[in-house]
Amino acid sequence: MTETKELRKTRYLNPYVGGVLLGLVLLSANFIAGRGLGASGALKSTIVATMTTVAPDASERSGFVKEFRESHAGNPMKTWLVFEMLGVLVGGFISGALAGRLKFKVEHSPKITSRKRLILALTGGILFGFGSQLGRGCTSGSALSGMAVLSLGGFITMMAIFGTAFALAYFFRKNWI
Amino acid sequence: MKPRVLLALFIIPLGLIIAAVPQNTTKPYKLTADQLLSEANTRTQFVTPETVADMIVNKDPLLRLIDVRSQEEFEKFSLPGAVNIPLTDLLSDQYADILNQDISMNIFYSNGSLNANQAWMITRQLGYTNNYVLEGGLNYWFDTILNPQKPVSTSSDEEFAMYDFRKSAGQALGGGGVVQTEQNQTAASARPVVKTVPKKKKAAGGC
Amino acid sequence: MGPLVINEIISENTNLFLAFLIGIGFGFVLESSGFSSSRKLAGVFYGYDTVVLKVFFTGAITCMLGLLFFSLFGWVDLGLVYVNPTFLTSAILGGIIMGAGFIIGGFCPGTSFCGAAIGKIDGIVFIVGLFLGVLIFGLGYDLWDELYMAKNLGSPKVSESLGMSDGLFAFILIIIALAMFTVAEWAEKKFPREEY
Repeated sequence: MTETKELRKTRYLNPYVGGVLLGLVLLSANFIAGRGLGASGALKSTIVATMTTVAPDASERSGFVKEFRESHAGNPMKTWLVFEMLGVLVGGFISGALAGRLKFKVEHSPKITSRKRLILALTGGILFGFGSQLGRGCTSGSALSGMAVLSLGGFITMMAIFGTAFALAYFFRKNWI
Repeated sequence: MKPRVLLALFIIPLGLIIAAVPQNTTKPYKLTADQLLSEANTRTQFVTPETVADMIVNKDPLLRLIDVRSQEEFEKFSLPGAVNIPLTDLLSDQYADILNQDISMNIFYSNGSLNANQAWMITRQLGYTNNYVLEGGLNYWFDTILNPQKPVSTSSDEEFAMYDFRKSAGQALGGGGVVQTEQNQTAASARPVVKTVPKKKKAAGGC
Repeated sequence: MGPLVINEIISENTNLFLAFLIGIGFGFVLESSGFSSSRKLAGVFYGYDTVVLKVFFTGAITCMLGLLFFSLFGWVDLGLVYVNPTFLTSAILGGIIMGAGFIIGGFCPGTSFCGAAIGKIDGIVFIVGLFLGVLIFGLGYDLWDELYMAKNLGSPKVSESLGMSDGLFAFILIIIALAMFTVAEWAEKKFPREEY
């Protein structure tokens, strides 16, 4: 079954308008909470919470949890990022609903199968999950928010992410174009 | 016109403005030299030893004495309840919460009033309020509170009243001419430890 | 005035609630700009869809200008705003791994949540992968914690490292970004692809 039946092109915001709006959201985050947006930190919170619930003693001895606890006292799920990511789900849903984009589907290039796309998604996710912990942030937290406050680490991470992706793009081109 | 060009028309001028404006440092000077000079000339930052003695005797909770001398001098003698912030460490982060607040009345003192007044000038220029200077410092304190001069019989009533007040304050504060270090020890037990209050916690951010 | 929660103008709980609202705004803008589609996201690496570049840099510049102007007006104390720390080794290494993840998976954490929110199964699977990746990192933490903590340079700003003022750097970034946008729009014309 081909996925190209949607002839009605879906409408997106002009990217520059979107960018300005994104910048304003980021600005409000910095103004209100003194920090930028983020995503991977919420993942870390969830994993820490799971680890400590499933195996409390072993978890508290793990370096990972200890490092987390150094900057977060209390419930790992009661953090700014977790609440923010819940909002992202809601916001994305509302936007998709308003634009008529709500649909369960696997988005993939016609040149590969759905199955292959899903395997690639899983692999990419694992890599990104690992990398975001090592890099202390993902594109939202490190690159976007980091750039906005002129953080050197943010810039470096951003250049590493995009540089690597550009460098590897040729090898994965069959999956996209 | 193309959105990109429109965007450029907006952000380039904004960028030029922000590039041209001098950098705001994290510890900006909030007062201009003129403002500071006019405040310094009114001498409103000075408090008399009588006022301070009164506050100590009445255990005024708003009072916070800050000794800007070195640690050795502080340990040899200090006013009751004083904390030691040597002038050399005035701008250290750990003291920022003590100096920059609007609850207590911080009163700087030193042996004279020179160093204490310097502390006041610097903190005032950073925009901090509620900081004052003990007029005449410890030298004057000794002369007035701990060792008040009995006024001659032809002095006015106010001077007698002042003398009585000083004498009783002095006694309450362990005065009487000689620096009584033992008495200071009991006062020392009330001396608050400089709680290194963690500075305003920056938001823990990151992804 | 700002940041509000640090100057204790709002409480921690209000802050968390506002985080939720900010997240809604974030998700809404991302999805409306097309970041819920892995195809659009990967497009910047092949030239056919440079939405990532435009939204990303416009967003960063808008906020950067906003913060600098707010600081100028005295509305925010930039000294209290979080600046991401720089751990040189892990920043580069983590970035490389994330770059691979990006081109393979076609998502990043924030956008995968958007995709998942509108029903993209590849987005959901990506999120599963994310959790696995974080778990692997956590379980094996002791193996790489030295790497993770290496070369801590503190929290320097780019402008400090280059020895220029924040404003000047912002201006230079604006010029660079506009140049990139021009190239991007040329590329989109040169490498078009049909919708799928």
